[in-house]
Amino acid sequence: MRAGPPPAALALEALTNLRGQGARSLLALLGIVIGAAAIVALTNLGHVAQAETLKRFEQMGVDMLVLRGIPAGEGPVRLDRETIERLPASDPDVVEATPLAIGRDGVRPLNRRQVAEEDAMIVAVTPAIFPVAGLDVARGRALGPFDACVPVAVAGSVVARDLTAGQAVLEPGERLSLAGYVFTLVGVLEPAPLEALSPVDYDRSILIPLSCARRALAAGDPTVALVRLQPEADPDRTGPRLAAALGNATATVTVRSAREMIAAMKRQTGLIARLLAGIGGISLVVGGIGVLNVMLMSVMERRREIGLRAALGATPADIRTLFAIEAAILSLGGGMLGAALGMSVTVLFSLLSGWDYVAAWWIPMLGPAVAVLVGGAFGLYPAFAAARVDPIEALRAE
Amino acid sequence: MLALTGVTKTYGDGVGRVTALDDVSLHVEAGGFVAVCGPSGSGKSTLLNIIGLLDKPDAGDVSLGGERVVLAGRAEAARLRNRLIGFVFQSFQLLPRLTAWENVALPLFHRGVGRIERRAKALAALDKVGLSDRAAHRPEALSGGQRQRVALARALVGEPALVLADEPTGSLDSVSAGAALDLLRDVNERLGVTIVMVTHDREAAARCDRTINIRDGRVAGEAA
Repeated sequence: MRAGPPPAALALEALTNLRGQGARSLLALLGIVIGAAAIVALTNLGHVAQAETLKRFEQMGVDMLVLRGIPAGEGPVRLDRETIERLPASDPDVVEATPLAIGRDGVRPLNRRQVAEEDAMIVAVTPAIFPVAGLDVARGRALGPFDACVPVAVAGSVVARDLTAGQAVLEPGERLSLAGYVFTLVGVLEPAPLEALSPVDYDRSILIPLSCARRALAAGDPTVALVRLQPEADPDRTGPRLAAALGNATATVTVRSAREMIAAMKRQTGLIARLLAGIGGISLVVGGIGVLNVMLMSVMERRREIGLRAALGATPADIRTLFAIEAAILSLGGGMLGAALGMSVTVLFSLLSGWDYVAAWWIPMLGPAVAVLVGGAFGLYPAFAAARVDPIEALRAE
Repeated sequence: MLALTGVTKTYGDGVGRVTALDDVSLHVEAGGFVAVCGPSGSGKSTLLNIIGLLDKPDAGDVSLGGERVVLAGRAEAARLRNRLIGFVFQSFQLLPRLTAWENVALPLFHRGVGRIERRAKALAALDKVGLSDRAAHRPEALSGGQRQRVALARALVGEPALVLADEPTGSLDSVSAGAALDLLRDVNERLGVTIVMVTHDREAAARCDRTINIRDGRVAGEAA
């Protein structure tokens, strides 16, 4: 005597039963699809956002340190320019170092009467700022070593645009009135993304040679140093050493490293990603309850059928398997459809927001895996309930 | 063929205790066509459930096809039902979304028989009840009499030792009921199938070889 129908036959039977239930099966499937899509889309979005955030950091390199002077006494911060510029020679971990003095003042092109004065960051720099901060020149030239104290300036992209008031673009050679002095514009910068490590927003700055700083800025001494380290240097050890070297009577020096900030950012975006996944998980549980509901309704509506099958020789295990397979088909099918839908939504979102679409290998698995888990949890109970149906009770009377 | 000895079944405890069957013994010979008669509440249904291996007696033995039936558990009982008993129900109990032959093949499905063999045997069983031209119809497209014939084919398809018919004419008009009884008689005579029919219809009982009357959980007498 054979034991009973093989799993393949039961699976086929389950599929037939689901098809027979039409709209009800579709609704259960929809619940799981939406749940799985939500968890996949939200997790994937978290992933995309994290990658996007890190990309912005990594563009500038992970070997950056920002050393910033904090006033130690009454007077302004006065870091020593010579000390900063000598760092590559004096410290084996330092590749490049550039001091910055930062102020704020009104600026106006002299030959354009109709343009109002614009407020801008005035950043006094050495030529090393261009490679260290990754600044590129769109028109004209960068500041060079021979600009020691020639009144020349390079404008950030936003300042350059604002100073034209919609007129012809600002060209190198134009003269700018700045803090009562006339500076000759020698270049305009490409737009530079604002990094968490940028000491200033370069797009909204006018760069002038540091040697001119005492003229154009109220406080002409460097307050910040940008340092690029050797790739193998350990910022945790080099940072404090450099901070100690730069500190003086006017200032104590704080260090921020790109790696440290990337780690902090990863923690933060990871938290958001988990939060999103949690929200997705809730919707999946709701979907799972949908499966529970549909399967329980199905068991109740099909009591007579279950009783009949039992009378005709279906064992409780057969009936349990039949209903478990029905739940599994709903969960797995819904999970896979949901994963596809969720990823499509993320791709669409990435396209619309101009972010790069990325997906870890485990994200598409997430939908079916979690759906099967949830469907299993909610589908097993109805399956056991079905197996407990008593044929005598179920077949009795109309 | 079928023998019950000293079968007793009670439900409930204490004051609410009801004795449904009290020391019932009966015997049905192979190839017999026996009616079990009795008013509702007589213990008829309980007897049917015990003969049908759907329920266990508290005391006494059931023998089917010469062997004593021991119900170890629900799975074992299901397998024995599948092998030994064909059921015909009052309300047919056909699954509406299955075709006639698929309904007939249901016992074979739960026996683990493959689809091709299932279909062949189901069609053969439908042929035995004269419904081979309705094999692909769903129950809704069949008349009451035709449905009962599909149900009979389903009872026969597994080649059981015993066909157990529970009020097989209860849902049919008098013409269809007569036809259904003719068919049962025919199947009994032509195929040599043992049939036990539970009924409260005297006319139906009169068509059987013998009638066992049940009153208050006891065998009240037999009529040939």
